[in-house]
Amino acid sequence: MNRSDLKIIAFIILLALVLYLGLNLMKKEGNIASIYYEDDLLMTVDLNTDKEYVVSGQLGDVILEVKNGKIRVKEENSPRHLCSLQGYTNSSSKPIICLPNKIIIKVSNVSDIDGVVY
Amino acid sequence: MTTKRITTIAMLTAISVVIAIIESYFAFLNSIVPGLKLGLANVIIVLTLYRYNFKTALLVSIMRVFIVSLIRTGFGLNFFFSLVGAIFSIVAMVLVKKTKLSIIGVSIVGSICHSIGQVLIGIMILDNNNIVYYLPYLLLFSIPTGVVIGMIAKKVLAYDIFKN
Repeated sequence: MNRSDLKIIAFIILLALVLYLGLNLMKKEGNIASIYYEDDLLMTVDLNTDKEYVVSGQLGDVILEVKNGKIRVKEENSPRHLCSLQGYTNSSSKPIICLPNKIIIKVSNVSDIDGVVY
Repeated sequence: MTTKRITTIAMLTAISVVIAIIESYFAFLNSIVPGLKLGLANVIIVLTLYRYNFKTALLVSIMRVFIVSLIRTGFGLNFFFSLVGAIFSIVAMVLVKKTKLSIIGVSIVGSICHSIGQVLIGIMILDNNNIVYYLPYLLLFSIPTGVVIGMIAKKVLAYDIFKN
């Protein structure tokens, strides 16, 4: 390893830090979650109401749980269960993506709207 | 294309396929950041790039992606991620190979461009910009994996087991 190698390592660490900080400054805590199957919006759920929802994914039913303003995938059928292992999210920068089930959960904010009726 | 060249490419491809398949059973890094892996098969690609040339390395790399997809992962999303990652990585490596970077630096650049390529194709195919949030983690983990791959390639090159 020579000097230019170390320079490139330093540069990458810097780049990763800048990206991380930049992306995190943009993120907001959301209060609604949109659930998509591929590109189709299945439903929008309110994160302030604790409740369980069931949507059907590619490999069977996906059970979602909303608790304390956060949402998670509680149960699903996928080879590695990555999306249920991911746990709760309430941040627009941490969507839950369940590729085997083709389910995507995006959190967003509607604070600029007076109210939402479900 | 001489017989010798065909045999060399076939042999290198076979080695990298075997490494990739063995590695796919140890996907523990996947639980830290989804999509993360060591990419040990890239040792062969880096080696080929140094010992032979860009064309050979590109051939070996693309054939590896096809064969691994054929016997392990199938031609779904994974296939496009691997293919784009592999091409990005090898093009980047050949571009920086002429600079002052040692084999380790070149392998790090290959490793990060692999990640960048995959994130780009992810944004394109899945049409989901949020994948970009993985990029800082992928970049950071590219450093150790790049260093490890570079060091292994350097050691193997020193023995020159691929001597004609």
